[in-house]
Amino acid sequence: MKTRYSERPPLEAPGRLSTARSTGTDRAGAIRLLYRLQALVALLGIIVLAIILSPRAADGSNIFLEAGNLTDILRQVSVTGIIAVAMTFVILTAGIDLSVGSTLALGTSVVAIGLTRWSVPLGDVGRISLAIIAALAAGAAVGALNGAVVAGASIQPFVVTLATMIGVRGLAKWLTDNANIDIGFGQDVAAVFAAFISRKVVVIGSLLVMAAVFWLVLDVTVFGRYVRAVGDNERVARYTGLPIARVKIWVYTLSGLLSGLAGVIYAAENHQGNPNAGVAYELDAIAAVVIGGTSLMGGKGSVSGTVVGTLILGILTNVLRLNNVDSNVEMMVKAVIILLAVAVMSRRKSE
Amino acid sequence: MTTTELLRAESVIKRYDGVAALRGANFSVANGEVHALVGENGAGKSTLARIIAGATRADSGRIFFEGNEVSISSPLDAQRLGIAIIFQELDLFPHLTIAENIAIGNLKLERQAFVRRRELDLWCQPFLDQVGALDSPRTVLANLPIAHMQLVAIARALSLDARLILMDEPTSSLSDDAVERLFATVNRLKQGGVSVVFVSHRLKEIFRICDTITVLRDGSTIGTKTTQSTDANEIVTMMAGRPLKDRPIAKRGVSSDVLLSVSQLTTGRIQNISFDLRRGEVLGVAGLVGAGRSELGAALFGLRRLVRGRVQINGQPVEISSPRAAIEAGVGMLPEDRKLQGLMMQMTVLENSSMAVLPRYQSWGIIRRKKELVAMEAVHQRTALKAASPDVPVSTLSGGNQQKVLLAKWLLMEPAVLFLDDPTRGIDVAAKADIYETIHAAASRGMGIIFVSSELPELLQCCHRIMVLHEGRNAGILEGAQATQESIMALATATAPALSGQSGLPA
Repeated sequence: MKTRYSERPPLEAPGRLSTARSTGTDRAGAIRLLYRLQALVALLGIIVLAIILSPRAADGSNIFLEAGNLTDILRQVSVTGIIAVAMTFVILTAGIDLSVGSTLALGTSVVAIGLTRWSVPLGDVGRISLAIIAALAAGAAVGALNGAVVAGASIQPFVVTLATMIGVRGLAKWLTDNANIDIGFGQDVAAVFAAFISRKVVVIGSLLVMAAVFWLVLDVTVFGRYVRAVGDNERVARYTGLPIARVKIWVYTLSGLLSGLAGVIYAAENHQGNPNAGVAYELDAIAAVVIGGTSLMGGKGSVSGTVVGTLILGILTNVLRLNNVDSNVEMMVKAVIILLAVAVMSRRKSE
Repeated sequence: MTTTELLRAESVIKRYDGVAALRGANFSVANGEVHALVGENGAGKSTLARIIAGATRADSGRIFFEGNEVSISSPLDAQRLGIAIIFQELDLFPHLTIAENIAIGNLKLERQAFVRRRELDLWCQPFLDQVGALDSPRTVLANLPIAHMQLVAIARALSLDARLILMDEPTSSLSDDAVERLFATVNRLKQGGVSVVFVSHRLKEIFRICDTITVLRDGSTIGTKTTQSTDANEIVTMMAGRPLKDRPIAKRGVSSDVLLSVSQLTTGRIQNISFDLRRGEVLGVAGLVGAGRSELGAALFGLRRLVRGRVQINGQPVEISSPRAAIEAGVGMLPEDRKLQGLMMQMTVLENSSMAVLPRYQSWGIIRRKKELVAMEAVHQRTALKAASPDVPVSTLSGGNQQKVLLAKWLLMEPAVLFLDDPTRGIDVAAKADIYETIHAAASRGMGIIFVSSELPELLQCCHRIMVLHEGRNAGILEGAQATQESIMALATATAPALSGQSGLPA
């Protein structure tokens, strides 16, 4: 039997590259487009599945599709989503940040201490701003430390951030004397903070704004391109004279900063500064990044993928809970999803 | 020929991402012959070799081994049949010893739970002898030069009782003397009844050691010839589908002002190298592998600590302590290994081309794609790059086009001095000619170019002068009629007083 082939994509005249973005007739372009949309297809699949599996309300309407439920999902994924967005950059440089959960705990602790123990004559807005800025600064400082050690001492990121994961957890516990700091139960400034920050629009808005900003930074800025370049091949980056150390310090600093932000939101939602918060959040964030198609080897990945990965995990949790599935079973299902997602990605790569 | 057939592949078809790499290729190897598989880049020769060795699975096609149809779906299947492949980028374990590398994956040995080193040494020694490898079996592989590693890879194939050994571009990273040693080994294998398939570009070598030549073009078999019944011109025509003529290269004049002045440059591996490079000059660097050619580049590009030496650019002394410092001083380097050192393989043509000068095309940190594209297209007018779009990953391009992207990256930067480390390694004839022209166009605009190559004809064709290195030292700089293959080899091997007027030896 004879197989017929379509011709290879037409080669243009030397030196004259078509400047158009991938068009429908361009086979390679079509494949790339499909690849880009792959995560989106998976998201649509899981939404359809969720609609089918969702229990019905008394009036026959689909509980999953209720506006309240959908925004709940977004709110629930916001904290890990914000962490995952920054984690994407770290992983794109072929690094990893295990310290994000501890940094989140530090963030909750610092913002709670700032609100309850610092008496500065600034008024509510000033005091809240100060507490938030302190938490963000603490997170960024942890990240900058990670980045400086990774870039300067050439110790593997896994080891560096494993160390800070332990150390920063200790710092958070030491600052709070290993006790939760309740906030927002009275009529004080902390209550104003908790009420404002924990509003759905603020929480979801934070995730969306961060995702949009990081997406743009990755796609259109020099820094974003350097991030991918360093992860694609650090040796080539060095031979090209790229500022590798600066890029690394920045990605870890951003990871710390967003972990601090996640901590602020966590504190507001849970009404406490909790030095034990965020345990294993690094793994949730990494899972979201990986499901979104970003390679742990660096160089390849996207913020949009991470957002999709975060949503897939969130929707999955939601629909399982709507059906009263045991939370232990939920973890097992998640495990399968992570493996499936990565298996699909890597199969595509080897083809 | 009257010899019996060992392997036959029929109508092999393989597609990658919808692009056909092989469109029904046929290939047959006789017992005890050395068979060349040739073709331009992208012709499918490596793919065919990989399929026969079980490293890649064909979409369809039949393979017969000793007359029986076989299914080779993994390297293990191939090993059981006695088929071994030696990849261009040798698939050895750098941190294991020679003996461990030879033994690993050997089914006969894997049955044992424990390994006795002495036994292992004794067991692998005959194979090392057979290929003429002199290193101790206990040597860790990473400490060996690449030519020795290749011998280890062949020894491993022998240890697996290989009857057919496929070698993918085995000479592309070897110096001339190592090539000689490899050929001696290949001849010994042939005498022992082993068939060798030699995938290569280098027709000269093929005509020296191969009995038969099969030409592939665009994934199809064009024909098979015995070496006696054909010549290089016919093979080139079969490869290209048209007769190819040598394009003459117009060497432009060189200005008299010195652009780069290097004196007493010394690192761990080179000693007291001094030379001047003038504006607009293409200075060739010849020498055997290990003579310090790449090391010279590493030293000039800030990858090595200098023990001693001064570098001046435009008369100003410069301190080059890192690639960044080198780039700032006006030195660019196109490294030897484009995949590991030169290009970001997952990134696009555009991204790679502009990588070194990206800040030029930004405002407020945001990349101006239009500006970037205009600059890139201008430079690729000169390199004659062929790519479907600026947004395809460079990994999808052929070797020659990848090399053009790498060259473009440095041309965009316009460094004062550009060090090219074997820029035409493993690429086809047409792309080579494009690259020579691009180099000369850059030189004519005033860039100083240092051109390292293992291929002497290329250096003789392209360079104004040729510096020959021998054991880390500058053995002499040849100019004009002085520069011939013979005079270069004489200096490179330190075998003869090559330069007239420099022969200080007593008669």
